[in-house]
Amino acid sequence: MSSTTMNKAISMKRLLPLLTMAASLVLTVTAQAAAPGIKGTAGTGALGTFNLIAQPGNLNQPDGNTVYSWGYGCTSSTTVTPAPVFAPALPNAACGAMQVPGPTLIVTEGTTVTVTLTNNLPAAAGNTSILFPGFAVTSSGGVQGLLTNEAAPGSTVTYTFVASSPGTRAYYSGTQSDLQVEMGLYGAIIVLPANVPAACTTGLHASNLVAEATWGETDFRLSPAAYDHPGTCYDREYLFQFSEMDANIHRAAYAQVLAKAACTSATAPGCSGGLEVATEPYRPSYFLINGRSMPDDMDPNYGAEYPNQPYNGNPHMHPGEQTLIRVIGQGRWEHPFHEHANHVRILARDGNLILSPDGQSLAGMLMFTTDTFPGQAFDGIFYFTGRGLNWDMYAHNPTSSDPLAKLPCTPDANGYNTSAPTAINYFEWCQDHNKPLESNPLGDVSGGGPMTLPNPNIFANGAWYSGSPYLGPDATLRSDTSLRNATAGTFVPGVTPAAPLNSGASGCATGQLGVGAGATATATPNCSNLQPSNVQANPANERGWAYMWHSHNEREITTNNVFPGGMLMMMLVDSREFVIDESK
Amino acid sequence: MINSQLVRLGLPTLLLAVLSLPAAAQSFRVQCPYSTITHPAPSPVTPIPSGGNVNSFEPAYTAPTTYAPNTQGFLAPTGKVNGAIKCQQISGGDGYATMADGTQTFMFSFGPLSGIADIANGQPGTEYPDVFNIPFGGAQAGAVGGATPLPGDPATTDGAVAGATSTSLYVQGNWQAPAFTYNGAIGQIPDATCAAEPASCVLNTPTTPTSGTFAYIDGHVDPRQIMDVGVMNGNIPAPLMAFDEDDEFFLTLTNVGMIMRPDLFEQHTVHFHGYPNASPFYDGVPDASVAINIGGSFTYYYLAPDAGTYFWHCHITPPEHLQMGMVGQLFVRPRQDRVPATATVYQGLVAQESDPRTACATATSGNQFVPPDILCSNPLPAAGDNKTTGGFVNGAATKKYAYNDGDGSTAYDVEYPLQIHGFDPNFHFVGMTFNPEAFVDMKDKYFLLNGRSYPDTVSPGPQATQSSDGRMHYSQPMPSIINIPVGGKALLRIADLSVTEYATLASLGIPMHVIGYNAKLLRDQEGNNMDYYSNSITIGGGESLDVILDASDASCGSSGCAAKLYPSGSVFYLYTPQLDHLSNDAENFGGLMTEVRIN
Repeated sequence: MSSTTMNKAISMKRLLPLLTMAASLVLTVTAQAAAPGIKGTAGTGALGTFNLIAQPGNLNQPDGNTVYSWGYGCTSSTTVTPAPVFAPALPNAACGAMQVPGPTLIVTEGTTVTVTLTNNLPAAAGNTSILFPGFAVTSSGGVQGLLTNEAAPGSTVTYTFVASSPGTRAYYSGTQSDLQVEMGLYGAIIVLPANVPAACTTGLHASNLVAEATWGETDFRLSPAAYDHPGTCYDREYLFQFSEMDANIHRAAYAQVLAKAACTSATAPGCSGGLEVATEPYRPSYFLINGRSMPDDMDPNYGAEYPNQPYNGNPHMHPGEQTLIRVIGQGRWEHPFHEHANHVRILARDGNLILSPDGQSLAGMLMFTTDTFPGQAFDGIFYFTGRGLNWDMYAHNPTSSDPLAKLPCTPDANGYNTSAPTAINYFEWCQDHNKPLESNPLGDVSGGGPMTLPNPNIFANGAWYSGSPYLGPDATLRSDTSLRNATAGTFVPGVTPAAPLNSGASGCATGQLGVGAGATATATPNCSNLQPSNVQANPANERGWAYMWHSHNEREITTNNVFPGGMLMMMLVDSREFVIDESK
Repeated sequence: MINSQLVRLGLPTLLLAVLSLPAAAQSFRVQCPYSTITHPAPSPVTPIPSGGNVNSFEPAYTAPTTYAPNTQGFLAPTGKVNGAIKCQQISGGDGYATMADGTQTFMFSFGPLSGIADIANGQPGTEYPDVFNIPFGGAQAGAVGGATPLPGDPATTDGAVAGATSTSLYVQGNWQAPAFTYNGAIGQIPDATCAAEPASCVLNTPTTPTSGTFAYIDGHVDPRQIMDVGVMNGNIPAPLMAFDEDDEFFLTLTNVGMIMRPDLFEQHTVHFHGYPNASPFYDGVPDASVAINIGGSFTYYYLAPDAGTYFWHCHITPPEHLQMGMVGQLFVRPRQDRVPATATVYQGLVAQESDPRTACATATSGNQFVPPDILCSNPLPAAGDNKTTGGFVNGAATKKYAYNDGDGSTAYDVEYPLQIHGFDPNFHFVGMTFNPEAFVDMKDKYFLLNGRSYPDTVSPGPQATQSSDGRMHYSQPMPSIINIPVGGKALLRIADLSVTEYATLASLGIPMHVIGYNAKLLRDQEGNNMDYYSNSITIGGGESLDVILDASDASCGSSGCAAKLYPSGSVFYLYTPQLDHLSNDAENFGGLMTEVRIN
């Protein structure tokens, strides 16, 4: 083997991941997610009325490629569509000419849903349509197709159905599906329960709203419950649509579209009929979460650089929050998706709540790797509390001078600190309160624990590593006491001062970070030169606990043969003082 | 095919790199305390062999551990303490395995560095402190061949020779009494620095005895022994781990480097797949934690999670490191195994409900579940106490269960971890050379049960492979022969680590009783069992599932069958109906298949 080839191999393997990650981190650090969508298009009146358009467009991939695709959208140059009603109401929210996945349709149980589809695909693509599996759909207009009525090029078709039961379901093209769904014609419909159980707005779920309000967080949920059942309450939610993409099919489709557009006569060679694109053998090289590959999926919703891929995949949550994940398999492959950090309780599949024989209790499986099958959706509940770690994840230290290190923990019947929703350690697992991890810690955390942590110089630190085993800015800083400067000064949390904040021994030195919770300009500065990694995806004001959520068909966490990429995202469990803002 | 020059150059270079590290930052080390704040012990600790260590056996489970606040402000055990301390050491590096068609395949792989005699016998390499902390050549038998283990051990000492199959290590049907029986931590030696400065040694390891045979055993290791045994010693599956609920588990990963790929400064980690409420620090994802460089050791710390069938793997570049072989099995035995015969297993589960850590959900209204514990799978059985008694006698479980079921429904007689995996020979060849690897075209051609394909799955004993260091190594220690005592039940702890596709395993003969999924009991929130019978199971990569092969004649009903359905001497099969997976690359018979033998 020549040395040239070898060098190429090394650079491919070692440098590309770093480059792609570095490029993404400019935007990832503050991005959060939600389950954004539209509740209807205003002007025509009621919520539940949607005017959708199928149009071509390009999808951006992190390897620099743009992939010709088809998607559903809300507006076009040829059709006047009223502005959509967005939920949640995020700034920058938009529904353009096309997007992949299509706009998430959000309606309430019992609503009559009307979807009018206009076919703005290239004429060569022929008819198109939408299927809504799980609903009794009446179609009107258009032309009769195999599975439903279809919209001919330039024409429309209308589908009407009652959103008869809550849940998350897929919608997708029912015309030449092997090509049209591959090209991107799919989306999600979320039906919210008409009768939210009282349990979902009282007790711990009410406390969680108090906690959110304490730190100035907005409630971005579509509803307090996924179903009309008290076992389905949730505190936060995300929607993930998984698909894979074979760019060769897209290239072939585009080539035929161009060729047929140049036809002067339908009888000319290659000019008759619709598109004849081989969809086998199937060789996907892109693996998408909500239409984006990692790391793009961790950029904000409605990011300007992804005009046709508005939805992200970047879950955040606080300890104890019950997080609803709505997941749909939109491709043709199965994806075993591994949620690090805990199990997921499957509530329902395709909107069918799974209950015990008497209908009272949940009976869906608990899975640490959730199966996603083609066209199938599931709703699941995930949470993280740190129960059973056997060490205090906040590194509380009753002998510390830091008041945040001495917070109390009062266990409820389940052992959690839920009586103090305004505290940073709301929902702390109390049995491990103050319990040390380290035998002989260097910093301001308790000693006497089971572990001797090794010399940090012999390890490689990840971009999401906070620099300590502990959760949150305060605990991470306290484990780094040797760098602490207790003298007063002026600083902004998370911001590196350009110059020493104060002269002499006080304040933070150049290059050090001012960090800390609830800090004001006159508060005691905490200064650190902790550099967990050269790239910091988990900044000093966050220092969350990061987990990889990814396809465990591991070859799918690549983008066009390069790792990392594909069907992968980082989930962050954040200490309470970090504000999860899903509008970002 | 094998570039021996690389080996000659690479090994000394690596050794130099290790030995030239400053002494103050010793990078290889192990951790296995005799006692902790969770498992305290009288001071001073009585070391083995003068008497059993208090945390080196499992006590009976009669009630939750009792706690009271101590002077440091946290809850410390008082009186009743459950569980024990267990430790394991593994190497991260490379090695070779032999496929069923005879092909030697290069792997990125983990190898055993503790319990290596147990691993060679197909058992977990997880050991109590009083086994783990014994230096080689210490008081334990098996320290043959000098004061240090030999390169390639235990295969070298056992006399494994090139070209021999694992069956030829048998004499008249019996696995030869292996010459190598040492199960302690490879490399563990007295800390000379500690001897000179007992104060700092005691500070670091408060319970280490400072005099006698086991003086100054504080986790200090001799890197030469680590390298002698750990280099080119990869196993598929990676070393088996097993421990009990309430145990503390100290798992040390030592990165010995990949001799065949000196161009890669490859880090490794351990991801304990499925650990509930995991901390990222010990979750093994390099992006969210630390990754262990060549020449370094890192000790992972876990309080045993809920009982179940988990697995573990490296999380560095997963599509590459998993495909290349860094995948192992792990299971946690339930508290219910430790319920004494004087109590019912239902009473044992009631006792667990009184500790919030082990409880399912205390907040209920009628039989309607109320949060927060939506992620618990073993509420009390709806049918109540069926008077199934425990079987913990004299420190040993005479009745074994997969989960804390409270009704005995997951009882079994014998257990077998079964790892489903696939190797793509093209990818492994590329992985041994310097080409960029293609993930899009990854296609498995060897379909492995515990690292072997049929017929190797039914070869008893460890399978050895000669590596490019010229030594024989136990590359594939685990056969997959399912031996069931007549009328008995075998628990199959199945995990799929394939990185490319779903896998199906079918039983030809004995029905599969599916009782657990993803390390959780199949039970609804009201306590109704949701177990089911099938003749096949299908799971994706990253999933586990528990199946009991019930060879009793229970299906015959109270009147019984005229003849036993599964008589002694009969043979049944586990195989995949994914017919293209019944092959070994170009050989069209083999693959994912093994035998079930009724004894």
